[in-house]
Amino acid sequence: MAPSPMFWRIIRRLITANYGRLFVVLLALGAGAAVTSALLNLQIDAKKRLTTEFRALGANVIVAPRTGNTESGDGATIDEALFAQLPAQYEGKPIPAVGFLYVIGQVAKVGQIHFEPAVLAGTEGHGLTQIRPGRRTDYRSDLENAPDACEVGVKAAAQFKVAAGDSLQLRNQGREASCRVFAVVTTGGAEDTQIFTNLQTAQQLANLPGRLSLIQLSVNATPDSVNSFISSLAQQLPSADVHGIKQFAEAEGRIYTRISGLLSSTVLLVLFLTSLCVMAGMSNVAVERKNDVGLMKAIGGSVRKVVRLFLAEAILLGFAGGLIGSALGILVSIWLGKAVFGVAAQPRLIVYPISVALTVFVSIAAAFPLRRLASVRPASVFRGEE
Amino acid sequence: MECGSSPPAFTKRELYAPSISGSSVAALHRPNKMFLRLVTDSFTRRPRRKIISMAALAMGMGVATAALSVSLDVGDRLAREFRSLGANLLVTPQADSLPLEIGGVDYRPANAGAYLPEADLGKLKTIFWRFNIMAFSPILEVPVQASKASLGPPPEKITLVGTWNHHSVPIPDGTSYITGIDQTNPWWTVAGKWFTEGSDECVVGVSLAKKLGLAPGDTLDVSSQDSSAARLLKIVGILSTGGPEDNGVVSSLPVAQQLAGQPGMYRRLYVSALTKPEDAFARKDPKSMTPAEYDTWYCTPYISSIALQISEELKGTDVRVIRRVAEGEGNVLSRVRLLLWLVTGAALLAAALAVGASAAASVIERRTEIGLMKALGANSAVVGVLLAAEQLLLALVGGSIGFGVGIILSRVLGQRIFGFAPEPRLFVLLIVLGLAAFITLLGSAYPLRQASRYDPAPILRGE
Repeated sequence: MAPSPMFWRIIRRLITANYGRLFVVLLALGAGAAVTSALLNLQIDAKKRLTTEFRALGANVIVAPRTGNTESGDGATIDEALFAQLPAQYEGKPIPAVGFLYVIGQVAKVGQIHFEPAVLAGTEGHGLTQIRPGRRTDYRSDLENAPDACEVGVKAAAQFKVAAGDSLQLRNQGREASCRVFAVVTTGGAEDTQIFTNLQTAQQLANLPGRLSLIQLSVNATPDSVNSFISSLAQQLPSADVHGIKQFAEAEGRIYTRISGLLSSTVLLVLFLTSLCVMAGMSNVAVERKNDVGLMKAIGGSVRKVVRLFLAEAILLGFAGGLIGSALGILVSIWLGKAVFGVAAQPRLIVYPISVALTVFVSIAAAFPLRRLASVRPASVFRGEE
Repeated sequence: MECGSSPPAFTKRELYAPSISGSSVAALHRPNKMFLRLVTDSFTRRPRRKIISMAALAMGMGVATAALSVSLDVGDRLAREFRSLGANLLVTPQADSLPLEIGGVDYRPANAGAYLPEADLGKLKTIFWRFNIMAFSPILEVPVQASKASLGPPPEKITLVGTWNHHSVPIPDGTSYITGIDQTNPWWTVAGKWFTEGSDECVVGVSLAKKLGLAPGDTLDVSSQDSSAARLLKIVGILSTGGPEDNGVVSSLPVAQQLAGQPGMYRRLYVSALTKPEDAFARKDPKSMTPAEYDTWYCTPYISSIALQISEELKGTDVRVIRRVAEGEGNVLSRVRLLLWLVTGAALLAAALAVGASAAASVIERRTEIGLMKALGANSAVVGVLLAAEQLLLALVGGSIGFGVGIILSRVLGQRIFGFAPEPRLFVLLIVLGLAAFITLLGSAYPLRQASRYDPAPILRGE
């Protein structure tokens, strides 16, 4: 049976009967919806942002030779052509990737005759600073793009007494090269003792043209997603060994679980509070409407019809509160994203219908006290009994 | 209550409300027995409504308590969680020759480079921020030749890592501290068990074990490159690190020291310290600080000030910050802390709204009562005080119940999400009770103001 015009008229009157209460209920529903949608949006966004923050840990995927002593300069190498086969993007984000060729050479500052051994790392690719996070203590940007530019680890710089602008002579088994220092870098790791040149210099010194020791990638994705990236890359490059860096993957995974657990449980609590809030409002409604319900029943309204009336009211209120509140919440989350991560959170459309639906659900659940109306007896209402 | 002593005004209005005795209405004006009776009656006569408001209040305050307790304790917990990223400080000898390290393997000859004395390490726990030093482990790497005993050559050239496992370090103040590699490098996992200190046991890397066909229980024959020293080591576990150690052997420090011919020495020390994320102040050069700034910097657990304190204790060392760990941790931790407070704020806001709305609703529903009281001569102030007293009582009781609920909730949440239970704090109870009182009053203020404008006549007629 389609609702009659009378049905809608009654609904309209019910809703506009008491503006104060309408305001309280709508405020509760709207605020609940706002917090829910803000947190849901932030939860999706936080995960993406945190993966970006975690990239401060540097490379998380390594492509190394399949056999022999991995990552060794004297050991096996891989074909430089593999570098060109790497995907440029993953999940819409570029992947910084750098190929390294390590060679132990003899090094001295220009003008010195006393050579000492040091590790030379020839690099090719983009995003060395993301792959190998550190701080440059001395930096000359004007020299960076020179063909013979090189970057020196802080310990190596101290050993050879060089600063940005100085030149180094490099030697290995009779082959010679030179480079000009454009930066001194500290990472706190083995890189502090290395000298980063361009790949051609290292290949020429090592007499290994077209070879690489390994490739490091920094994939900006969640740990699970990185694992599927690794397995697809491993299939694509059967000649090499593709593996993740265990040290950071585990800690990352653990921290994600914690944070998303925290956000989801807050969303649940907030929804629960919203429903309590609406319930408090509705239980007053139940008391106030006793007379109306008695009258409706007396003139022949079935319990089902009466309940439908109030349910329709609850749904309408939930829908209105949800529509307004969720939209506000998404706006708030954009701002919150900016406050927390420095980048405005991207509004995700999926959040909107979800939080509106949750709000409608909460509002129906909170209409529970109206159940008491079903047991109202018209006769006692008319006699004015409590 | 001045108005209580003006009977003429009262008698005139008595006509409109003949069913209520004059004495009880007069009592409205004085906070005496009748006042208390009105308050208690409103709780005992209609318990259902009060229970609903009380439940809303208790739940709201429960959530507030849980959110506050979790976020007060969780900062430290999260910082500890981040220590699973591994050590954030690296100590090396100052007067060292340049290490020829590629992929974790040092290609220098064994006799090249400087070493540090193991005996000094207890001093780490004497620095100002000693309690922030969570773990440390010295490393001595020796290039060795290894082969499966009972099997013939060829021996494999590998690196043996000597380090601590569950090692008891004597500290100068007479106590001792237990630490080791499983704490500085928590991602190292062992199938089988770790080696025991002071025995001829070792764990082998997973790749090496596969290559040589080694399993726990086998014996590994290890000798130094120049064959001057040799040991038979019992394999007790298979180590998997995802790093170069997968191709090596890890054993106790004395074994490595004997093979390297460097008794009592180590070459690298990893330190895992709890730190405060670096801010703009921490990035300033300590040399350019004023003495007051320097004191503040020195007495704050920044990674750079802890590094300085360690290098002051361990002479002849160079302490470097492992940038990727320190910065990754700093970035994420400061973001997460902010996020946590925002979430707490959201939960508090929702709690406040729930409580405020239920308080408002409970005042709105009492329009008739308010009208009647006013018809009987009570002025707005008296009605306000009566309702406020009721609401405050509700807030105190509901807030206390909420605190109890919140403590349970925070234990469940803390245990499930972070694996720890926050302790109940008196401080949180005070905040929660204050908040409950403030919000219920705030929530009732507007409807009360509205109620004070009600004209009694239509309300009493039931319009």
